[in-house]
Amino acid sequence: MNWLTGFLKSSVGRKFVMAFTGLFLCFFLVVHLAGNLMLYVGGEAYNNYAHKLHSNEEFLLIAEVLLFSAFALNIALAVTTTMENLRARKKSYKLVETKRDDRAMPLTSSADYTMMITGMIGLFFLAWHILDFKLEFGWEVLLEGQNSAQKVGIVLTNSTRALIYILGSVAFGIHVSHGLASACQTIGFNHPKYTPTVNIISKIFGWIVAVGFSSFPILAKFYPSLMTF
Amino acid sequence: MSQTVLNSNVPGGPLADKWQNHKNEMKLVAPNNKRKYDIIVVGTGLAGASAAASLAELGYNVKAFCYQDSPRRAHSIAAQGGINAAKNYPNDGDSVHRLFYDTIKGGDFRSREANVHRLAEVSSSIIDQCVASGVPFAREYGGLLANRTFGGAQVSRTFYCRGQTGQQLLLGAYSGLMRQVGAGKVKMYPRREMLDLVNVDGVARGIVCRNLKTGEFETHAAHAVLLCTGGYGNVFYLSTNAKGSNVTAAWRCHKRGAYFANPCYTQIHPTCIPVKGDYQSKLTLMSESLRNDGRVWVPKESGDSRSPDQIPEDARDYYLERRYPAFGNMVPRDVASRAAKERCDAGFGTGETGMSVYLDFQRAIQEQGEDAIRSKYGNLFHMYQKITDENPYKTPMRIYPAVHYTMGGLWVDYNLESTVPGLFVLGEENFSDHGANRLGASALMQGLADGYFVAPYTVGHHLASRTLKPVTTAHPNFDQTRQEAKERVEKLIGVNGKRSVESFHRELGQIMWDNCGMARNADSLRAAADQIHTLRDQFWKQVFVPGSGASFNQQVELAGRVADFMEFGELFARDALAREESCGGHFREEHATEDGEAKRDDEHFQHVAAWEHTPDGDDVRHKEDLKFETVTPSTRSYK
Amino acid sequence: MSDTDDNLTLTLRVWRQDDSETRGKFADYKISRISPHMSFLEMLDILNEQLIAQGDEPVAFDHDCREGICGTCSLMINGQAHGPDKETTTCQLHMRRFKNGDKIVIEPWRANAFPVVKDLVVDRTALDRIIESGGYVSVNTGQAQDANCLPIPRQDQSSAMDAAACIGCGACVAACKNASAMLFTSAKVSHLAQLPQGDPERPQRVLNMVAQMDAEGFGGCSNTYECEAACPAGVSIEHIARLNREYVKASFCSSATAAEPIQAGE
Repeated sequence: MNWLTGFLKSSVGRKFVMAFTGLFLCFFLVVHLAGNLMLYVGGEAYNNYAHKLHSNEEFLLIAEVLLFSAFALNIALAVTTTMENLRARKKSYKLVETKRDDRAMPLTSSADYTMMITGMIGLFFLAWHILDFKLEFGWEVLLEGQNSAQKVGIVLTNSTRALIYILGSVAFGIHVSHGLASACQTIGFNHPKYTPTVNIISKIFGWIVAVGFSSFPILAKFYPSLMTF
Repeated sequence: MSQTVLNSNVPGGPLADKWQNHKNEMKLVAPNNKRKYDIIVVGTGLAGASAAASLAELGYNVKAFCYQDSPRRAHSIAAQGGINAAKNYPNDGDSVHRLFYDTIKGGDFRSREANVHRLAEVSSSIIDQCVASGVPFAREYGGLLANRTFGGAQVSRTFYCRGQTGQQLLLGAYSGLMRQVGAGKVKMYPRREMLDLVNVDGVARGIVCRNLKTGEFETHAAHAVLLCTGGYGNVFYLSTNAKGSNVTAAWRCHKRGAYFANPCYTQIHPTCIPVKGDYQSKLTLMSESLRNDGRVWVPKESGDSRSPDQIPEDARDYYLERRYPAFGNMVPRDVASRAAKERCDAGFGTGETGMSVYLDFQRAIQEQGEDAIRSKYGNLFHMYQKITDENPYKTPMRIYPAVHYTMGGLWVDYNLESTVPGLFVLGEENFSDHGANRLGASALMQGLADGYFVAPYTVGHHLASRTLKPVTTAHPNFDQTRQEAKERVEKLIGVNGKRSVESFHRELGQIMWDNCGMARNADSLRAAADQIHTLRDQFWKQVFVPGSGASFNQQVELAGRVADFMEFGELFARDALAREESCGGHFREEHATEDGEAKRDDEHFQHVAAWEHTPDGDDVRHKEDLKFETVTPSTRSYK
Repeated sequence: MSDTDDNLTLTLRVWRQDDSETRGKFADYKISRISPHMSFLEMLDILNEQLIAQGDEPVAFDHDCREGICGTCSLMINGQAHGPDKETTTCQLHMRRFKNGDKIVIEPWRANAFPVVKDLVVDRTALDRIIESGGYVSVNTGQAQDANCLPIPRQDQSSAMDAAACIGCGACVAACKNASAMLFTSAKVSHLAQLPQGDPERPQRVLNMVAQMDAEGFGGCSNTYECEAACPAGVSIEHIARLNREYVKASFCSSATAAEPIQAGE
């Protein structure tokens, strides 16, 4: 077998690719959140940021290709490995109880047991998000002629959107709270010296993502004035 | 009683040169001819796994069998303490001769000089081999190997991997075995129980085994058969052996012509967790090293039922320190075990059953601090607490002796070949190296010595020096032997009585323990033989083996093993009766000094007793005289 | 101690299955007069004596050394591999962990790679094949140099020993939601990767062992770490991280490629 196909077919190799794409996506979340937080600086700051981002078309194209490939790989590998993992135990247990001290029952309360669910909710949110802001699907009239900051305010004051966005943010938060630490483990970044810190950082990162991204729809809902530019 | 003298085939020359001379003289199989030979290895413990791997590396075709689901689970894995080798790394004056002398003295001068010397000679190579195969032995800060001290020696020569030395050594040998399985040179047969030996023209040429998963009876042919199936301690039902350990393979070979040597030599280890109740299925050993700091005592007053912390110092009898002021709590295993039994029999025992003595760390904790004790014995204390639910840092441990190792086994000559040509016996299953008592950390050494460094040479000599005609399983002897094995199993199932196999095994064990245990006398041994005989009759009338033999059935496995233990137990008692002396683990109450110590009779019993099976069932005792050319047998004293 | 504490009555719900081909089902058994000092397996011995006395077939379960080192015993006890105690095999689990009147569900290890042999007994030879594919140092008997020619830093020896302590029981597979054998495989990879003896075959070993593990039908690792919590030998998931490192390094920085997996078969 060719070494690369061998690597990409193996369970460890595929997990490595997943971890790698996951870490890239985490990085993207940081950049994206940092950009969004410009909204709190002011409409002008945000518009400047958005303008700069969109004015460099080559950069944008490369970034988007990378981003979509990372998402696609992460999702495709998640689906295939999950299917395989489910198939590895055809006959399931009647009773399952954790032996980990730091885990409560039911197991579905744990981030690592719900990666597929949080991932799927995130994906659902992402689809809306792209339709709303990238394609402006269904918003043609309302967003016509508005600047970037104003567009955000308009979309997020919509109750359905707010709900979807909050749900998506929280799902992503939960997803990365396991995902970041898990990716570190998968790429072999584990040592008693720093792994406890990595695990804490991962949890904090999850909170930052969940709170950071959902703060926009929440504010838009309860303090619309703050999101009016 | 016949007195045939057995030929041990010990080579000539000075003791230290014998093995080298013998290696120079043994016949060799040419490299490209080795692939024409098939070898069967039964058992995959230290001896079996190392032999199978080594023979396969040489180019032979090996078939390896074990009753466990994986070769990695053989009971060698449970050895805790360590493995001896005359490396002299600590620079404390160790040498091959010292290791040889300690081992032969520890065996109470009842082992063969030449074999023991060879064991000491190859001990160093074992450590080299194990390290090379990745065994993570304990290290000093400089990265070199660490040693610890063990009973019966005045030098530090024991190599260890925490408290799991046996496990690591076995996994090392197992990995070598699996490498050869991968290379196609070993065919591995797990979940197989050897039920008989097939001889053709008086030479061992194959085995019959039962596939424990399917119940099928299989035959396998080869040019040599190596038995590495361990000891028979489970004849006592309760022992530190694994539940599956059994005498069946050895006993079946005995019935096909292999002499059984010194069956009565049993090591009873003094520091085991005592029996709790009649449901007990197994005894657990606590490492001998505990006696370095623990003090053994019982109440001075019989029936003193106060909790140990309420018994004041002057009401305690530190009987080992009292009886053996020179060695105190560090007397050898056999002495410590007998002393504990003596106190309990006299009514001074502790605990609900009165069959245990205290092993107290109070003074050690006071002097060294709890942390120091924890760092030395933490894992053992943890294990004790897990099993007994008592905290040994607060209350003294309760211990009692338990059957641990059997020095006796099938008789072998210097080449490890039994009285059946082509049948080699390795490890605990043979009788060769430990005499009447085994020193700590010597069992692992012997298993690996036999498998890595002795059998690969001597088996080659057998193949090269004898004319072995081609034999396949189509030979009528195979079918006949298979049929006999099959009928035995069918007969067991056919009894269809009311009593479980387990209950018979327990009763047999009780008879053995009460009459052939730590102390024996002519009356108790005769009684044991009679009682076992009666029990055996009952067994074949009343036993109930549920299910069928044509599928996975653990009751069928157990029934076959217990049936053989019943026959073997009787021989055990007869051997103990015939040996009218006390030596090592064999203590005859009639043969004791005035103050109750063992009294050897070198004039009449400086020999190996080897029992031959005869068709009428009455085994005949042969002997191999033990000649000591280098050492002079002395009386062991620990006063 | 009250009478009931000293004398437990329990309901056991035990998986019964004739062989890998037939469908299994649970059977309920009432069992009384169980001493809290009994080990879990001794409690099952009593159950079996009871079944035999009734003329029924006893429950088949794997066990051997009964001192926690051979790795033969298994059992999923109330949904936990080897029962509720940490770093404890089933044979070292004692009945004092249970209360009078408890209902205990006992299941075999469940994984496609571990087909049921009978009742609670499963076939774990897949683990042997993983070792066979590369879990060794290729050194023939007699080739070794003097043991002290290879100094090994004490911390490396100690860490290698932590990994080598694996008893091969398969609890990691049983406890993993993916039935993954990563902890088992990584223990051997990590043990040998940390020692100079294992160095020459390092890349080949990890590639072969992972390929074999995958071919056996075990699931992949999704870092939920139930394996570590269930492991009676206390093997840490650090070793899985080391396997991951070794694997990537072997794939990208060595010329080794994985061998064809070994086929199962008698």
